[in-house]
Amino acid sequence: MSAARLKLLVVGVGGQGVLTAARLLGEAAMKAGLDVSVGQLHGMSQRGGAVECSVIIGGAKSSYVAAGQADIVLALEPLEALRALPMMSKRTRVVVNLGKIVPYSLAIQGKDYPSIAGILAGVEETASRPYTIDGSGLTEQVGLPRALNVVMLGALAGLGLLPFADEILWQTIEKKIPERFAAANRNAFELGRGATEGKQG
Amino acid sequence: MSRRPKDPLLVDVEGHAECLLGNEAIVRGALEAGLAFASGYPGTPSSEISDSFARLAGSAKLVFEYSINEKIALETAFGASLAGARAMCAMKHLGLMYAGDPLSTIPYIGPVGGLVIVSAGDPSCRTSPNEQDQRLLAPMLHIPVLDPSTPEEAYRMAIFAFDLSEQSRLPVLLRPTTRVCHSRAVIRYGRLRSPVVTGFVRDPLRFVPIPANARRLRIELGKKVETARRLIESSAFVSATGGGELAILASGAPAATCADLLEELNLTDKLRLVTLGAVYPLPEEKLLALLDGVRRVLVVEELSPFVEDALGALLKHRGLSLELLGKRSGHLPVEFEYTPEIIQRAIQTGLGLGREVPKQPSFQLAPARPPSLCPGCPHRPAQFALRAVFGDEGLYFNDIGCYTLGYGPPLNTADALLSMGAAFTLAAGVARVTGRRTVGIMGDSTFFHSGMPALLEAVRQDADIVAVVLDNHVTGMTGFQESPTVERIGDEFRRNVTISSVAKVLGASHVETVDPYDLPATIAAFERARAAQGVSVVVCERTCPVHLARETKAPRPTTVYQVDPLRCRICSREECGMRCGQEVDLGFESFMARGRVLEIDKSAGNLPGQAPCSLSCPLGLCIQGYIGHIASGNYQAALEEIVRRVPLPESVCRVCHRPCEAACVRTAVDEPLAVNDLKRFVVDWAAKNMPAYDPERDDPCGMRVAIVGAGPSGLAAAHDLCLRGYAVTLYDAEEKPGGILRYGIPGYRLPGQALDRDIDRIINLGVRFEGNRRMGRDFSCASLLEQGFQAVYLALGAGHGLPLEIEGAGAAGNPEMVDALDFLRQIESRSVPSRVVVVGGGNAAMDAARSARRLGAGKVVVAYRRDRDEMPAIADEIDASLSEGVELATRLVPVRLEPGRLVCLRTEPGETDASGRRRPVPIEGSEIELPADLVIAAIGQRPEFEEPGFDQTPGGLVQVENIFLQTSNERVFAGGDLVPGERTVTSAVACGQRAGWAIDRRLRGEQIADRRPPPPPPGDGRRWTRPGIDRADHLPRVRPEELAGEKRLEGFDEVVSVLSEGQARAEASRCLSCGTCGNCRACLDLFGCPAFFEKDGLAAIDPGLCNGCGVCAELCPNGAIHSVVAPGMEPGS
Repeated sequence: MSAARLKLLVVGVGGQGVLTAARLLGEAAMKAGLDVSVGQLHGMSQRGGAVECSVIIGGAKSSYVAAGQADIVLALEPLEALRALPMMSKRTRVVVNLGKIVPYSLAIQGKDYPSIAGILAGVEETASRPYTIDGSGLTEQVGLPRALNVVMLGALAGLGLLPFADEILWQTIEKKIPERFAAANRNAFELGRGATEGKQG
Repeated sequence: MSRRPKDPLLVDVEGHAECLLGNEAIVRGALEAGLAFASGYPGTPSSEISDSFARLAGSAKLVFEYSINEKIALETAFGASLAGARAMCAMKHLGLMYAGDPLSTIPYIGPVGGLVIVSAGDPSCRTSPNEQDQRLLAPMLHIPVLDPSTPEEAYRMAIFAFDLSEQSRLPVLLRPTTRVCHSRAVIRYGRLRSPVVTGFVRDPLRFVPIPANARRLRIELGKKVETARRLIESSAFVSATGGGELAILASGAPAATCADLLEELNLTDKLRLVTLGAVYPLPEEKLLALLDGVRRVLVVEELSPFVEDALGALLKHRGLSLELLGKRSGHLPVEFEYTPEIIQRAIQTGLGLGREVPKQPSFQLAPARPPSLCPGCPHRPAQFALRAVFGDEGLYFNDIGCYTLGYGPPLNTADALLSMGAAFTLAAGVARVTGRRTVGIMGDSTFFHSGMPALLEAVRQDADIVAVVLDNHVTGMTGFQESPTVERIGDEFRRNVTISSVAKVLGASHVETVDPYDLPATIAAFERARAAQGVSVVVCERTCPVHLARETKAPRPTTVYQVDPLRCRICSREECGMRCGQEVDLGFESFMARGRVLEIDKSAGNLPGQAPCSLSCPLGLCIQGYIGHIASGNYQAALEEIVRRVPLPESVCRVCHRPCEAACVRTAVDEPLAVNDLKRFVVDWAAKNMPAYDPERDDPCGMRVAIVGAGPSGLAAAHDLCLRGYAVTLYDAEEKPGGILRYGIPGYRLPGQALDRDIDRIINLGVRFEGNRRMGRDFSCASLLEQGFQAVYLALGAGHGLPLEIEGAGAAGNPEMVDALDFLRQIESRSVPSRVVVVGGGNAAMDAARSARRLGAGKVVVAYRRDRDEMPAIADEIDASLSEGVELATRLVPVRLEPGRLVCLRTEPGETDASGRRRPVPIEGSEIELPADLVIAAIGQRPEFEEPGFDQTPGGLVQVENIFLQTSNERVFAGGDLVPGERTVTSAVACGQRAGWAIDRRLRGEQIADRRPPPPPPGDGRRWTRPGIDRADHLPRVRPEELAGEKRLEGFDEVVSVLSEGQARAEASRCLSCGTCGNCRACLDLFGCPAFFEKDGLAAIDPGLCNGCGVCAELCPNGAIHSVVAPGMEPGS
């Protein structure tokens, strides 16, 4: 496989900002002079369905990530991390936000959401010990309930695997937010980075 | 002054890079080609094309419209093209079929300004009801097709397509699929070109394809196609990399996947990858040149073997041999999108290159997360209301839009779906051949797209359909594109077209508009629609809240809703230990939710509590419970609830005095529920369908109880004590058990067979019955206790009539006088003369009068000393007796018997007495003679009980303590007519149950006895009020058939029949479900708002997801949902 290609998956629930996160990553890679392909198949996502985006940094023509081929999985929701298990292999690094969103279909059937500890164990078995993020705690800390995707992008930066500087990613984010929220978003980014930088899963 | 940053798609700098979606790249390409006109209809995965044009139209000096439908979009674009403007038209694959008519003629006429049609394909039907290979239209309609594999290629193709179109004089179909439309890649810009419109230049021989012109244009088509072929051959869109004898020929998105795959498998140099971006007309020469030297080629394309077959035909035609692999050889599937694994497998099996796809380990399955309607979506209450009205029997035809999510639980409003606007046509088709009234559901955008002609046709044919239009003022599913109903001008929303006006203009006469957030009004509108004939149109109008939030930038609601855990799933009979804990089904929940919705004026704060019917019931039945089960068709569950509390169901369902009906709140609207008739329906059904009675019983406890009196009270006590594990001996003075049920109430009210079923059920529990045993003569209380009975229950009733002491009684020649109870006891063996007078106004009097008529008395008069409305008899009994020819003579008191007559005095009301009624005062000198040969005295009853050692009233009733029915002897209990209190069969049965509990409590203690709690003392349900309830729809009470007048008197056959199933269900749905229920999950099971979840077995709402629409509060049967200030919205926060 081409050494330059980094295959990321961003997964979550419609409305969490998954598409935006993938798009920002693509733009950051482009800004850094790299070729990038972002796959964001959507249509019914905003009606609370599952969302999966792919970001392939470095010269891919298609935006497919085949089974077992993800280098990094950013999961904004635990059940979506479980759903993404087939995309992982031993080399995959995984960041999981622990805040769960129960699918309404489970709620109305009175069935249980799978145990988060079980999901994390599954990720560890298939890939590696995941980094966990207390998304709602951190966004509450910065006072921005909708900044989960920025926290997760910070966590991604902290992994140290991106082929470009963290600042480029931050600048791409900053361009997209109103100035009055810039400082709080920067905090969110930093908190996310702090959760993974220099740490084991 | 800062300049507003330019839209990224409008940056006019050579070499500028943007990371664009394939759809956006196409837009950029078109703008660089000098596009002057764009049109489209939203459709995933193409929507971003039109959305981008919409956003840019002003700045880019572009004329743009979201057309009503794709046919209009294409025709309008072609019009622009004829006027010399470069035009682009965008839609999804289905839209292209919709525009089929103009699409088929445009190639003949040919564009003037280049016309590029972008129709996005959807392999794997991600957002469509089918997948289609639009490339197959190309040879049929003579349209060049460009099939991009990457966003970057799509950008270059968009530019090229306009030149191709103008030079070949053919429209060009640019056909990206989802993977290309919705992937982003780096696009490096060229320069924008200003649009140029050369103007409409007449050319009728070309522009007007009347048949003569059409035939000539047809012949020119061949040349046009060849022109296109030459342009394609010399374009960059047929290319190859690598080399060797093995090749892959790929087109579309799979070509990009192949390129990446070959790199990863290190095969880039080991085989040839030919990418075919222009698939029609096939660039034959260039293709063959690129395949020169290849001996085997694997054709990789999605959907149909279009390129594969074209290549195969070409090879055959040219006499070339080349091994062709692909779908036809079975190396690749025909359907769906190609993942890298599918292609890798084909490369390995077909070309022997690369490596096997590793076997996937099995993974824990993640529960599905299907999309759902957003919290607060008006389509939810609209479809909930539809389902509440049309029920399981309704036939629902749905359409394409967000509301399609009504498919499946919990809303279940999609029995079939076809295409845009087909909801009405499918509904009409089914209605017209079956005669059933059907329902069609579509949105506003869909209505304008193609629902209007469908509605017109339905009106023309007078089809029996309910046409529902859900107008949320936007095209929501595809990304909130505008809809013709409401338009945003600056900061204001302006209404454009109202759907109800359109419907009326199309000829619909029954048209209503409702706000779906107003659930009662919406249900009422659907009910009117259901009852109507022909076409009924109901428009449910409310702006999509997500759209509104996006437009007004006010995303957070200030009010949200919360579930009160103290009211959720609370049974109103919890305190008396009578929570049933039954499973309820969806029909039952729908019944309760509907009842709650219809409770008018919830603002009056009258929360549901214990339903007034249950409150009044001496047996403590959950009436709402069994009526709900009947409404839902679950008769077995209804039976379970009835049998739980009614040990003599056949009798009670016939002779109960029905305090529940007197308390029913529907009395304020129309008529009370026929509660007892409904009970009878279930009991009757059970007799035919259910196996023998086998209740859950405690183990035998080894103790014995004696019960004296086998009337309703004694039988109920026997039943209760048997279930508790006692050995019961039941004594009665008569030969058979039944008491007043057998010997007092005539067979036309309570047939002997029905009574026997009740009694056998109890005796078969193991009760030892001893008939012809009279207390006083054959045994005494003391003797029973000495015999080893641990307790005695006295239920002797009050079976002796009070004597009518008047002059002339018993004298020879005077009319015979007999006590009513004796008369009724002797019914089978006695005869009556033709003139009978019954003195009294209670049930015994009615029974005697009606029996006398049946025995042949020609003239039966009931003489009562007060007025009719003061008669203690059940009102229906009085009505029945009058309809059977009994005469009622009120305000008469008997004074003496004379030969052939009873002499009475008139009375007038005097002072009020202890019963609250005015005492009748005889009027001196007002004598009246009633002709009579038999006088039946029914002026009151008393017990005959002379055991020593008991406190008794002056009237002979035994005094007992109210709760424990204990007499002055601590091991002797008493109840029923023997003790002071209500004199009804039902309360006697309740006493029997209470006695069983009290005895068990005395003998085995509270803990054991309380496991089977007694019925609670009834309250007065008539004091219940329901403000505003008189605004509910009036529905007449359903009545069971009754024997016709003349037939009744022929014998003692039962007069009142049982409701049919249809009648029972109809009557049951009149119930307003006034009480709370402990088994309810209506919000989760029927409504399904994603803001709801379950917590500790109760419903809960996530305030972060709640939209504050409050519809859930309307339907919660327990009134457990109420509004609160949204967190973070409190004043000062």
